[in-house]
Amino acid sequence: MRLLLVEDYRPLRESLTKGLRETGFAVDSTGDGAEGLWYARSNDYDVIILDLMLPGLDGLSIIKKLRAEGRQSHVLILTAKDTVDDRITGLDLGADDYMVKPFAFQELLARVRALLRRSYRTKNPLLEVGDLRIDLAVQRVWRDGAEIGLTPREYALLEYLAVRAGQVVSRTDIWEHVYEFNSSASSNVVDVYIGYLRKKIDRPDRSPLINTIRGRGYMLGAEPC
Amino acid sequence: MLLLLAALSLIVYGTIRRALFAQFDAGLESTAQLIAAVIGQDVDEVELGLEVQQMPEFRDITHEAYFQLWGPDEVVWAKSPTLRTEDLWRIGDNAASPVFTDWHDRGGRPLRAIGLRFVARPADKDGKPPPKMSPTTMRLTVARDATELHSQLRFLQWLLLMASAGVTALSLFIAAVVVRHGLAPLTAIAAQIEAIRADDLTARIEARHTPSEIAPIKDRLNDLLQRLQASFQREQRFTADVAHELRTPLAGLRSTMEVTLLRSRESREYQTVLSDCLGIVQNMQTMVNNLLMLARLEAHQITLRRDRILLADLVDTCWRPFAEPARQRQITFESTLSDDLTCLCDLDNLSMVVSNLLANASEYTDNGGRIRVVAQATAGHAELTIANTGCSLTQEQIAQVFDCFWRGDSSRRDGGLHCGLGLALVQRLMTALGGSATAELQAGGIFAVRLDLGPCATERR
Repeated sequence: MRLLLVEDYRPLRESLTKGLRETGFAVDSTGDGAEGLWYARSNDYDVIILDLMLPGLDGLSIIKKLRAEGRQSHVLILTAKDTVDDRITGLDLGADDYMVKPFAFQELLARVRALLRRSYRTKNPLLEVGDLRIDLAVQRVWRDGAEIGLTPREYALLEYLAVRAGQVVSRTDIWEHVYEFNSSASSNVVDVYIGYLRKKIDRPDRSPLINTIRGRGYMLGAEPC
Repeated sequence: MLLLLAALSLIVYGTIRRALFAQFDAGLESTAQLIAAVIGQDVDEVELGLEVQQMPEFRDITHEAYFQLWGPDEVVWAKSPTLRTEDLWRIGDNAASPVFTDWHDRGGRPLRAIGLRFVARPADKDGKPPPKMSPTTMRLTVARDATELHSQLRFLQWLLLMASAGVTALSLFIAAVVVRHGLAPLTAIAAQIEAIRADDLTARIEARHTPSEIAPIKDRLNDLLQRLQASFQREQRFTADVAHELRTPLAGLRSTMEVTLLRSRESREYQTVLSDCLGIVQNMQTMVNNLLMLARLEAHQITLRRDRILLADLVDTCWRPFAEPARQRQITFESTLSDDLTCLCDLDNLSMVVSNLLANASEYTDNGGRIRVVAQATAGHAELTIANTGCSLTQEQIAQVFDCFWRGDSSRRDGGLHCGLGLALVQRLMTALGGSATAELQAGGIFAVRLDLGPCATERR
C-alpha cells in the first residue's frame, strides 16, 4: 500500500517515514505543501497523511484542491491543532480521519489500516482467498494453517493483490500502490516479486493462486466466471 | 430641608401667636381704658361696681372677665363679684403702664391680665362743679380667661407639628421613590455586572432605557469589558500557540522513539536517534526558556545591571555557536564593528538579543549568502544592525515578524525547528533594556533588524 506523508517538522517526518516503511508501506514524503499537492496529483495514493500548517501551501487547501479534482485518496489529518472547530473544518473539507499530535505510532498505523480497509471495501481485517489466509492487522500469512514467512516487500505485494482478490490488477496499479516514487526499482521488478511470491505461496499439488492474465496483469484467486 | 421646615413653622407660629395675643390684649386694654374713663368721671364705689358690671365684657359667660380696682394706699376700691375672695395681680409702682401678664387662678385656669395705673380726676356731675378732691393714683387690673386663647395656640401648635410631620414623611416617601426610580438603571446595570462570569467575557451591559447621565458609565464599562475580553483572548491564543508549539516537538520525540523501538537495531542507529532526540529536547528547552523570559518581561520581573560592553566582543562571542554550521552552508559572516565602541547595558540580556538575532539570521540566510553586522554611535546612543540575505518576506510580513509564534512559513528551514519566539523576545527585551528593535526589508532580499540601544551611554575609549 502506498502512502504520502506531508509533514514539515523534519524529525517527525523522518521517523514516520521510517516506521511506515518498516511496516511494509511504500511511503513518499515531503515537508512542503506545494510539493505535497504535486505528489498527490501525480499518483493514486491509498492514504495521504497530511499536516495542516505547512510552508508553501496549507493542508486544508491541499484537501480542497484534491477533492475538487475528484481524487479519492483517503486523507488523514495530522496536526497539533485540537479544537473541535479545527476537526470539524478538516473533516468537512473532505478529510477521512483526524489525529492530534502527539500520538502513538501504533494508533496511526491502526488508523491507516482502517482507511485502507475502507478503500478496498473490506471491513474484515482477516482476508481469505481459497485456503490462503492473510491477517492485515499483524501482517501475517497462512496457507492451510501453516504460516508463510514473507519479506515486507513480498507481503506488501500480496496484500495489495489480496484486497483486490478476484479482480485483474494491472502492473501499473501494482507499481503505483506498492512502490515508492523514487525507489530505484525498474519496471520488471513487479514480475520479479510476483515470481518470489509464487514460490512461497503456490503449491505443486494445488491450482495456482496467483494467475497471470495475459496482457492485463495479475489476479489472486480463481478467475471470475 | 427639615431645618427649613422647622424654621418656617416657628415663624408661622410666632406670627399667629403675636396676632392672637395682640387681639386679646387690645380687647383687655379697651376694657381697662373704658373702666378707667368711667372711674375718671365718677369715683363712687358702689355705682362704679354696678356700672362696670353692666359692661358687656363682664357679662359674657364664655369670655369671663374680672377686674379689680385699687385706690391709693393699696385699698381695694372695687372688684368683680365673681372674684369672691380672690385677688387679682396688681401692677407695681415702678412698672410701665399698661403692662400685660399671665397667671393661673386657684382653679388652674389660665388668665391674662392688664395692669393699669391712672390718675382719677373728679368730673362734673350733673353739670355741678366737682367736689374738691385731690387727684388720686388708681390701679386697675382687668383679667380675662385665656383658656380659649391657649387652646387655640395649642391647636395651632398641634396643627403645625402634624403638618410638618406630614410634609416630612411625604417628602421622605417621595425622595425614596425618586431615588429608587433614579437608581433603577444603576441597579439593572449592577445586576448585569453580577451576572458576568469570569469564564465568559462576551457579555455586554445592555440598558435599553438608560438615562443619558448613566449612558457614559455603561459605555465605559462595556469598553472595559471589551478590553478585558481582547486581552483574555490574546492570552488564550497565546496559550493555545504554546500548546501547539510544544506538541509538535513532542510528537517528533514520541514518534522517533516509538519507531526506533519497533525492532532491535544496531548501536549506530540508536546513537543517531538519541542525538536527534537531544536536538529536539534542546530546541524545546530554548522555547521554554524564551517563554519564561517573555513571562518575566511581561511581569517586569527581570533585574537589569549596567555593564560596560564592548560591542565587537559581544558580537564575536554570540556568533561562535553559529560559525561552523554557517561555514558549511557557505554563508559569509561580516562584522565591521570598531574595536573601541562600547555601551552601558545589561550584558546577559543584550547577549540574548544578539544571539537570537544571529540564530535567526543564520537560519534564514540562503546557502552561500551573507550576514552583516554593523554599528554606529551617534549623539550618545548606539545602533547595531544585523542583516542577512535570502529574505523572501513581503513588506506586510515584515510588520509581523515580532509577533509571538509568527513564522515566515515560505522561508522556513530546518523543518520548523524554531518556534517563532526569538524575534518576539528580542523586541520585548530591547524595550525592557530601554531601547528598541525595528525590522526592515532592504533591496535585494536583505532582512535587517536594527537595535537602538537607546539611552545606553556610548563612548570611545
